[in-house]
Amino acid sequence: MRVSKKIVVLGHFGVGKTSLIRRFVEDSFSNDYKVSIGVHITKKVVEITAGNQVSLILWDLEGTDDLSNIRDSYLLGTHGLIYVFDVTRPSTFENINGDLRIVGEKLPNAPKIVVGNKVDLVVPEDLDRLLQRQGITYDYLSSAKTGGMVNDLFLHLAKMLSSDAKKI
Amino acid sequence: MLKKYKDDYFSDNVQFILTDNQGIVLESDQSFLKIEIGTPMEEVHPFFGSISAVQELSENTTFFNCVQLGKNAMERIVDIEMHKKKEGVLVMVHDLTDHYVSYQAIAQSRNESIINSELVVLKNLELQEREKFKNQFIRNFSHELRNPLTSIISITNILRSTDLSDEQKKMIDFLKESNSNLKIMLEDILSIGMIASGKLHLDHKIFSLSDLLELLRFTYSARAKEQNLTFNLDFGTKVPEHVEGDRLRIYQILTNLLDNAFKHTKEGSVTLSVELNQKWANRASMRFSVSDTGAGIPKESIQAIFESFHQIETGNGDGSGLGLPIVKGLLELMGSKVQLISKLGDGSKFYFDIVLKEPIHTLATTKRNKETVANYQKKKSLSGAAKYKILLVEDDEKVQMLLFKTLLGAKCFNIDFESDGAKVMQTVLQGNYDAIIMDVSLPNVNGDHITRLIREFPLKQIKKIPILGLTANAYADDIALYKKAGMNILMTKPFEEEELLNSVFKLVSN
Ligand SMILES: Nc1nc2c(ncn2[C@@H]2O[C@H](COP(=O)(O)OP(=O)(O)OP(=O)(O)O)[C@@H](O)[C@H]2O)c(=O)[nH]1
Ligand SMILES: [Mg+2]
Repeated sequence: MRVSKKIVVLGHFGVGKTSLIRRFVEDSFSNDYKVSIGVHITKKVVEITAGNQVSLILWDLEGTDDLSNIRDSYLLGTHGLIYVFDVTRPSTFENINGDLRIVGEKLPNAPKIVVGNKVDLVVPEDLDRLLQRQGITYDYLSSAKTGGMVNDLFLHLAKMLSSDAKKI
Repeated sequence: MLKKYKDDYFSDNVQFILTDNQGIVLESDQSFLKIEIGTPMEEVHPFFGSISAVQELSENTTFFNCVQLGKNAMERIVDIEMHKKKEGVLVMVHDLTDHYVSYQAIAQSRNESIINSELVVLKNLELQEREKFKNQFIRNFSHELRNPLTSIISITNILRSTDLSDEQKKMIDFLKESNSNLKIMLEDILSIGMIASGKLHLDHKIFSLSDLLELLRFTYSARAKEQNLTFNLDFGTKVPEHVEGDRLRIYQILTNLLDNAFKHTKEGSVTLSVELNQKWANRASMRFSVSDTGAGIPKESIQAIFESFHQIETGNGDGSGLGLPIVKGLLELMGSKVQLISKLGDGSKFYFDIVLKEPIHTLATTKRNKETVANYQKKKSLSGAAKYKILLVEDDEKVQMLLFKTLLGAKCFNIDFESDGAKVMQTVLQGNYDAIIMDVSLPNVNGDHITRLIREFPLKQIKKIPILGLTANAYADDIALYKKAGMNILMTKPFEEEELLNSVFKLVSN
């Protein structure tokens, strides 16, 4: 049995949304920054348990620092979401709780994963201190560049979504 | 004809697809996406999985802007409309690739420039942190140096007054000179630290500009003689006699510039001149300049000589190398800027303009006769009164010994000791003292705390005992704190014997 799940990937621009998806889908990475516009959609099938596959439809959204601007049509039929911030740029997480609230209002029922990306660029202890001081909680710290935690975070969400499916 | 052109035009840019309610293709005009009838739209492109969600909406029409279809659709970027129809869903795909490619270029440069400016901010933050660290370091470091330097200066002075051979005396004089150089350097480092951390505040008072210049004439004429140079002072006739400003800092600026000039001039002259630029209301703009006939400065070094520790880096000359950076910093505080005209081999001229208030009424207090220690001593012995009773509160034994010797040497004081902060109050109550000399940082209780206790004491003769505070903290905000606690005079370590006696006499004779 295979189900399709739509996942939207959101966050400020330049935080590594496209890179995370590319690492997950193609296992590749580029240092060049090509700004995404609108939305780009890819698909990847993952096996959660033997014989139990989920087809993830990944919506890579244009980055924005004003999340209330996101076009509602992009969010239609969303099952889960990944919210990405850039651990090297405080502007992308300073107001994360406000940003997550806006997202939560738009997608009240979708399970979400909060990811701090680009951890390869920072000293872990410094980062911990910084995030703690700002009262920021997250689910994963990832690096699209090294691949660290990338598969884990997508699989985690996939599992959450497929167990949701069973419940339904 | 027109219709054909129009159709061709649209057929290239728009594709119509009709699906049934399950999203299976019923019809497609094949204009740019090749789609077989009967395929589920989801298989054409994962985007079309949205069709089912659209069907659940109450609206009849849904727009999706700027959808990148990716490789399977030759990197087309399209707008998509979905209209609910009785057969199912009518999908209209508008190819707007050209439009969106130029939009992408704009977004690219916008995002890049925002991210770059954020990186600049982050970098600045990092720089500021480092600068802060440096200043804190300077502050702590110079603080730590004060205590040992106090001991060295005092011991040297005491040693000088013991029985010594001529050769030993000469050596002590060298030692004394080195000590005072060391002290000046320490003051310089402190000044630069205070300027950099914004801790230095100007203290504006009315003072006699001509007196200040006379003092400089006196000092530097002597130095000129020593170095076989001429020192000229040009004091323009229209320059006001009295002005309102920070005398100490103006003095510091001028001595730094003059010291610098003397250091770099082997023959010829050094000239200090003050002219009036203009006057309006009660303000006067004046130009101060210091010129020399020394070696001059090459153009490429002009910038660098105003940067902290330049001289240390280049290992050139003596002194802390902080003189010119201090001048620059102090003038910035005064809203001015030091300028330099110089050519290699042709001397240098440093000048700056400052605007100072010219007081309407000059207060007589500016020309007060200074009491000398000898004067005080004479008065005391003539009056035949008993010696002053002093309580010395100091925990450092070395400093204790030095203070004791110095005060005893003046023959006017009886001295008691206390080194434990917790016991001071008790001693004060029993002692009937004329004055207290107290280190600010004591074990158990701090000096400012004890001072507050004394000042709040209900008995007048206790409450009013004058207190002289000794501190290694030269920072204005700390000193203000101690004064606020009720200390009458504060002396920062290191100090000279003469300074101490002067202050103590002042304290007891008030
Ligand atoms: N060092 C490092 N760089 C990364 C990482 N992830 C992304 N980048 C870089 O960050 C830049 C932006 O990455 P993108 O993936 O394009 O960011 P985005 O979130 O998709 O940006 P928008 O599409 O504008 O919203 C690129 O230069 C990437 O190479 C990472 O984990 N480590
Ligand atoms: Mg992107």
